[in-house]
Amino acid sequence: MDQNSATYEGQKMYDPKGWWDTYVFSQDHKVIALQYVCVALAIGLTGMFLSLLMRMQLGFPGLFESIDAGSYYQDVTMHGMIMVIYLLTALFLGGFGNYLIPLMLGCRDMAFPFVNMLSFWMYFLSVIILVASFFVESGPTGAGWTLYPPQSILEGTPGGDGAGIILMLASLAVFIVAFTMGGLNYITTVLQSRAKGMTLMRMPLIIWCIFLATFLGLLAFPALLVGAIMLIFDRVLETSFFMPEIFKGGEVLDYGGGSPVLFQHLFWFFGHPEVYIIALPAFGIISELISVHARKNIFGYNMMVWALIAIAGIAFIVWAHHMYVAGMNPYLGFFFATTTLIIAVPTAIKVYNWVLTLWNANIKMTVPMLYCLAFLVTFLNGGLTGLFLGNVAVDVPLSDTYFVVGHFHMVMAVSPVLALYGGLYHWYPSVTGRMLNDTLGKIHFWITFVGTYLIYFPMHYIGFLGVPRRYYSNEQYDFIPQSVADLNQFITVCALIVGAAQFILLYNFIVSLYKGAIAPKNPWGACTLEWQTLESPPGHGNWGEQLPVVYRWPYEYGLPGATSDFVPQNVPDEQIT
Amino acid sequence: MNSYPASEKAFLGLNHAQVFVYVLMTVISILFLFITNAYLFRMNFQDWSPVPIPSLLWFNTICLALASVGMAWSKSGAKATDHQKTKVGLAIAGVFVVVFVSGQTWAWQELNASGYFLSSNPANTFFYLITALHAFHVLGGLVAWFVVTFRVFKGDATMLQPESVGLLGAYWHYMLLVWGVLFAMLITT
Repeated sequence: MDQNSATYEGQKMYDPKGWWDTYVFSQDHKVIALQYVCVALAIGLTGMFLSLLMRMQLGFPGLFESIDAGSYYQDVTMHGMIMVIYLLTALFLGGFGNYLIPLMLGCRDMAFPFVNMLSFWMYFLSVIILVASFFVESGPTGAGWTLYPPQSILEGTPGGDGAGIILMLASLAVFIVAFTMGGLNYITTVLQSRAKGMTLMRMPLIIWCIFLATFLGLLAFPALLVGAIMLIFDRVLETSFFMPEIFKGGEVLDYGGGSPVLFQHLFWFFGHPEVYIIALPAFGIISELISVHARKNIFGYNMMVWALIAIAGIAFIVWAHHMYVAGMNPYLGFFFATTTLIIAVPTAIKVYNWVLTLWNANIKMTVPMLYCLAFLVTFLNGGLTGLFLGNVAVDVPLSDTYFVVGHFHMVMAVSPVLALYGGLYHWYPSVTGRMLNDTLGKIHFWITFVGTYLIYFPMHYIGFLGVPRRYYSNEQYDFIPQSVADLNQFITVCALIVGAAQFILLYNFIVSLYKGAIAPKNPWGACTLEWQTLESPPGHGNWGEQLPVVYRWPYEYGLPGATSDFVPQNVPDEQIT
Repeated sequence: MNSYPASEKAFLGLNHAQVFVYVLMTVISILFLFITNAYLFRMNFQDWSPVPIPSLLWFNTICLALASVGMAWSKSGAKATDHQKTKVGLAIAGVFVVVFVSGQTWAWQELNASGYFLSSNPANTFFYLITALHAFHVLGGLVAWFVVTFRVFKGDATMLQPESVGLLGAYWHYMLLVWGVLFAMLITT
């Protein structure tokens, strides 16, 4: 049967006609996933390049004349926004979510393939609008990724007097529409389209993570959308939602009476769950990889699921710990410090369970496992410094110093990226049918892992010295010792090396696509369904004539009496021995 | 872990489209929750000067309620396989929603003509923003209404099912509910 025009379970499959339908305006979840990955990695490389420009200025001030204070702030802003929203959110949910949800749940595609396609193209449009801001007069916004008013929309702030800030806000609004389309699809698919036997408590943990992260996004992004719309009103129509009375050059501006703190609340009500929108899929990837590459059941599956649900719930009541220095009531600070510390409990449960999964396991030191181990250590380090900053009394002196930069890069930049790389190495054979080069993978891993520690660990020390973040130049201040300049040079050199090392991954990806060893159908010996398809890589419709039936949980390793050390989810009891 | 095959059922007996639309309505509710929160936060500031609510809004509210009645009529027609009733109900719903949105734009013009400009006071800005956001979501429903109505008039059997018309009706009723809350907030603050 021609699969492209097949009718399965009484429903006609999406039927691509020609090259454009198959590869460009495709409605197949696997193609859409790849489109998300490619666009996200491309814009992510741009974000990385911007960070290197910032590092050049900090390590070797004045070396590049083109980097002035204005362009430095623009680089900072665009780097932050690109990495958090357009790289990590898009790649984890749009990329991994799209590829894994239908395959791991044993269904043919997303519940609404057309809406899924629209979601990608809206995301693409949001990236185009964002990139367009580099080319308008006065450039992109330099207001910092938090876009705090009043400065974000005032003349004098880089990009504030041109279209830069408007394009940023418009791009975010379009991204939120894209995310909502994709998110509604993920939720519907997970709730409605699971294969027979795939109960909620038999779903792989990564699907739980993506499902909950999507819920977080759907409930948190509206806060950002409201903030963005109101900020556009303030900027374009000179309303005063957020704008207080402002005197500029002795003149009173038309604004008055607004509250910048209101924007902070709206932003961080989105901003903190956003951390978990990134972190939860990373948790999911680690849960899958650790179990597969340690050849052992995941420890405490039920506990892991409930910990995830707890994290997702508490994530909505910690947002104001980003605002301790905004002049909040001390009792409110006490409340948010408490909830912040409480969220460490379910998070710690997850870390313990990963470690206990490794305990006495048959650990294979594959590249994905190396990334898992690196993630565990890095997430622990970043999490512990989070406990410092979650306490008001400690946060106040450390706020807006490099300690914060070191903390959040360890916990929500390096950690998710390590999980991301582990996931890419793990699922590359499923997508392409070929293996990545192991030696190149290990070289890339060690440079990235060691390099990021050399970059971000010293920042904690610099922060303790009181060096403020966001300063374009640290040269004119007596309280900043020479050692900071030396460390900044060292960090910059490390950042350049780590940045260059990412091209090893890119090279490995491209070359392995053509010259990599042919991957066996299930190269890692995993139990989950994405490795059990008839064809490898899976074809259109994923499962041929018959949908799989699920008989067990996704981590059936080392089952006594079984002929193999793993039992796939779709193998019934009578076929085990 | 159990190793017997479990039979998966649809979540709460809902179909795909119902889950999609109900979750979408949750997301829209969150959006309006934030905008009303911002409204209630901002109205405590000294520069707040309440807007006189145009009486036209009462008429618009009745129109939106009648649109909802039309959708309920349409669903009951679909249940009784009375296609004529379904079509009449849809037509009533569409006409009254168009009147509602037109009435809202009329109310904005009335306020503007009376000197209550968008940027002259935060209460004005909120009034325009909240009513516009609601009208925007009603217009989104109108797009879905066009699709459903077109297919119903073409005799598409899927669209003539009570679930299909009922789901569109659910969104219509939901928009009425949201407007009821927003309108109550606007006239009481």
